[in-house]
Amino acid sequence: MSQDKEQTLIAQLKKANILIIDDFQGMRTMLRNMVKDVGGVKIDTAASGKEAISQLKQLNYDIVICDYNLGPGPNGQQLLEEARLNNYIGAAAVWIMVTAEKTTDMVMGAAEVKPDDYILKPINQDMLQTRLEKLLLRKKSLGGIEAALKAKNYVGAIEQCDLKIREKPANLQEILRIKSDVLLTIGRFEEAATLFESVLAVRSVPWAKTGLGKVKFHTKDYEAAKRIFSEVLADNRIFMEASDWLVKTLDAMGDTVQAQKVLQDAVGLSPNSAVRQKALGETAYKNGDLDLAQTAFEHTIRISEFSPHKSAAVFAGLAKVFSEKNSPVEALNVLKHGKREFKDSPGAELETAIAESMVYEKMGQQDKAQEAMAQAQKLKGDLGGALSPGMAMEMAKALFRLGDKEAAAALLRDVVKNNHDSAGISAQVQALFESEQLGDEGRALIQASRQEVININNQGVALGREGKLDEAIALLRQALQEMPGSETVMMNLCGLLIVQVKKCGRSDERLAGIRELVYRVQVLNPANKKQHEYAAALNAL
Amino acid sequence: MPQDEISFTDFIASSIHDMKNSLMMQVHALESVATECRQKGDLETVQRLGGVLYEASRMNSSLIQLLGIYKFDKAIYPMDVVEHSLADVIAEAVMQNTSNLNFKGLKITTECDPDLYWYFDRDLVSGMLLNALNNAYNYTKSRIHIVAKQADGMLELRVEDDGRGYPASMLSNNSMGANKGIHFSKGSTGLGFHFVSRAARMHKNGGTCGSLAIENGGQWGGGCFIVRLP
Repeated sequence: MSQDKEQTLIAQLKKANILIIDDFQGMRTMLRNMVKDVGGVKIDTAASGKEAISQLKQLNYDIVICDYNLGPGPNGQQLLEEARLNNYIGAAAVWIMVTAEKTTDMVMGAAEVKPDDYILKPINQDMLQTRLEKLLLRKKSLGGIEAALKAKNYVGAIEQCDLKIREKPANLQEILRIKSDVLLTIGRFEEAATLFESVLAVRSVPWAKTGLGKVKFHTKDYEAAKRIFSEVLADNRIFMEASDWLVKTLDAMGDTVQAQKVLQDAVGLSPNSAVRQKALGETAYKNGDLDLAQTAFEHTIRISEFSPHKSAAVFAGLAKVFSEKNSPVEALNVLKHGKREFKDSPGAELETAIAESMVYEKMGQQDKAQEAMAQAQKLKGDLGGALSPGMAMEMAKALFRLGDKEAAAALLRDVVKNNHDSAGISAQVQALFESEQLGDEGRALIQASRQEVININNQGVALGREGKLDEAIALLRQALQEMPGSETVMMNLCGLLIVQVKKCGRSDERLAGIRELVYRVQVLNPANKKQHEYAAALNAL
Repeated sequence: MPQDEISFTDFIASSIHDMKNSLMMQVHALESVATECRQKGDLETVQRLGGVLYEASRMNSSLIQLLGIYKFDKAIYPMDVVEHSLADVIAEAVMQNTSNLNFKGLKITTECDPDLYWYFDRDLVSGMLLNALNNAYNYTKSRIHIVAKQADGMLELRVEDDGRGYPASMLSNNSMGANKGIHFSKGSTGLGFHFVSRAARMHKNGGTCGSLAIENGGQWGGGCFIVRLP
């Protein structure tokens, strides 16, 4: 290493807050000495995942050197996921995993759960020094892009990527990959496809080929997507991202049987991914393969004990499996266990209450089933009615079982109204009605609900055109109260508010109103084209 | 977790993890003892420690190879082919062996364009280099030369020494990929060659895959260990 570089590294390390996590005292001391010898000053150590979390919460670390294997409790990977998920570490922080072997999760996971680098043991001081220097340099060069991404300023992130690309940096591939991800996120599919194809023209790399498959998926060419993901997997069986997307594609095509096969393969290769095990449980349940669903859910619960992906849906899923296997006692036990794990989380409690109602209903204990449902209704109220479509449909299913057709239909009406332009959601709602032998009623309800939303939107737009802005805005605000998840209502309202600013002048309050709507849609669906248009208009106001 | 649920893969992985920890502590301790001896002027002990450190490096190399081959066989090796700088990867491999190379007073030279980037799995190529360096260490007289260059659309990675070179019996069987019944008189199990040729073949691009070859000659007429990657 040149002396200049060494000086910069020492200067940077001197300022940095550094955390070393290892369960072996000997290793901690050794790593600490190594870091000290290359210039680190502010060095903390943690002996377990639990200790590490409390330290990560307290101090914003710049460098984390973490052993993968931490004994009982979370492993290095789960720790990293939790730290990223809860923003315990900033975008500019460097996370290095020290490990005896490279694992699938470490290199094949999604970008946000991958460490910045891993070092295979045994390591010595020279190696650590060189890696640290490279990582700090790389972080610096990606700093602007990562900050823009964190602020959800996608267009800005793309501009930063383009600036970098023009410099022809050593890590060109990495920047192209980040850029392609952003293009997909904001729905600029054609540009993304061009990027992937230009990379693939030089060499068949799995990330670019998988990217091309994602473009096909997003543009609803499922056959092509399926073919591409399968080809990637044929060449790189271990490239989990392609496997995850193949499952997604098969689901969209309604081929849950094939999806289950792909998932079974995937969990064979990476048995410790809680997300995949959960997906396998859900898919097997859909396919009526109750034994497999049970195994998968049980496994999920076991491996996600220390994972940030721990989810109440898994307990609810396992309870339903037991219930259907005529083992209601086990089902209730699972739910009891779930309640202990997730107290103080209304969403999780709601999920559990719905499952409980279904289990009691199947046992023939109507009173208790009603009681659980009443609890679910109360929790739904506490949540402000903001249920995900999946959860709302689950609740409707339970209501149908209790014979409360009216309440079920009301819930489903809201689901359709909030997602009136999603054919997929309408199809799911229709399937639910069909399974209750209420196909005709379902069709009528979906038709009417969609029409109602279309009418309100049309009326709002028409009023706006006639110059009755205030009336139009009031109408759509009212509509948004009823269907807080409707992108269409939000975007139409946003359009009216922009016109209002142009006509009547700007005020902080008006701009804030527009900004909030743009932001809500951005979070809901970053690919929404209108939202990009209005975000640009907002900047120009 | 009941005993029968612990898979063999987990067992191997956790044992190797444990062994690598021990190895790392051991090497670190030996290196600090050597530093102390050098300061005291006890060069004889330093020399003897060099041999021990070399054995530790061989053990590490074997652990990498065993785990690698196990994962190739099970088709669970997380192959991660991305662009890397050859200069960086070579520098790191040399760095990892600095202490034992220094003890024997060997000179290492590298010939590599700093702008040479290639697609490969970093850990596999590091493992191959480690194996080649350990071999060369054993057979060379005074120096080792590492070359990385692009040749005929492939990446060519050569490790050359100035020793006696490979015996004729090994050279005649120079399709290392097949690797049938190679016998090594000096305690070699053939594990290293098997690993390297398998690891090379894991690298594919279009219709071609990587390979391992050995020959005598090179810069100083000794043994040459050549890996080609598409």
